[in-house]
Amino acid sequence: MRVRVRVVIMLVLCLTLGGLFVHAAVTEDKWTPYPDAADLSAGYESYVGQQLMVFGTVTETSEGEMRIRAESDGTAITLRVTETRTAVEPGGVVQVYGTLEPAQTITAERVEVVNSSRWAEFYKYGTSAIGAFGFLLLFFRYWRINRDSWTLEARDG
Amino acid sequence: MADLLTHLLVPYILLTVASWAVGWLDRRWVVVGMGGAAIPDLVKIGIVLDERVVEAFLGVPFTYMPVSTLGGVLLLAGVITVAFERRRWRRVFGLVTFGGLTSLLLDGMRVYADGRASAWLYPFTNWRPPTPSLYVSSDPTVLVVAVLAAGTVAVLDRQMRVRR
Repeated sequence: MRVRVRVVIMLVLCLTLGGLFVHAAVTEDKWTPYPDAADLSAGYESYVGQQLMVFGTVTETSEGEMRIRAESDGTAITLRVTETRTAVEPGGVVQVYGTLEPAQTITAERVEVVNSSRWAEFYKYGTSAIGAFGFLLLFFRYWRINRDSWTLEARDG
Repeated sequence: MADLLTHLLVPYILLTVASWAVGWLDRRWVVVGMGGAAIPDLVKIGIVLDERVVEAFLGVPFTYMPVSTLGGVLLLAGVITVAFERRRWRRVFGLVTFGGLTSLLLDGMRVYADGRASAWLYPFTNWRPPTPSLYVSSDPTVLVVAVLAAGTVAVLDRQMRVRR
């Protein structure tokens, strides 16, 4: 098939995906039921008493409590999480599900540790980089780019 | 999400086992299926090009979230498919989509504090499927299990080939 036709098909698919990028952002409330950090910063009081789930980086821990910093769209908010006994170091990332209370506080129902410390993040990106590199090596062992037709073709035909 | 290495190993394991029964499914096709597993991880492009930068440039709300959903997998599988020779399209699309689905399913089994995974069936539905909350993404156990399983399958695969 001619290169031009293939490029057009790719463009149409990419534009459709671009449309989804915008559609998903516009309809965000439909697929994420909870207010994010930006929503909380803008109108905290209107969410008090509601159940919500937030992702945040732990900044401080003490007996039965922690402080987390949640961020979205460049807006950050610091929240006090009470009734938690979760073991996590500052710098770790947690998910908190609970009830929003006045004075930037969440009474936790469930806290899950996503990254227990900063190292967990390095681990994740490190193994992913190894995966990406290994995959590319493997892929081009079996496939090559044909520079006449600009297609991927099997090395052994 | 699970790390990319784990994502790649899952279709490797499943497709290699399937290749023992399906004649045309040789190693080069297994690799194509593995490639599909990387699609949902492309959502991390946000590290390079921030959503807010795109949003400011376009002047409309913008999120990369659809990349990690069924819709994103199907569309990007299409883009990848078209990069291959015309006669390969059907197989490439099927395998790449399969790989992408295994990643979405694996990520759908992650821990969410409210017991529901992300809306990964978007745009077909905004419903958030329940998650068995099996693991968190930085849990090395997941990778250890995947590496051991892949190693076992690789050894068995070698023996199957020798026997043929």
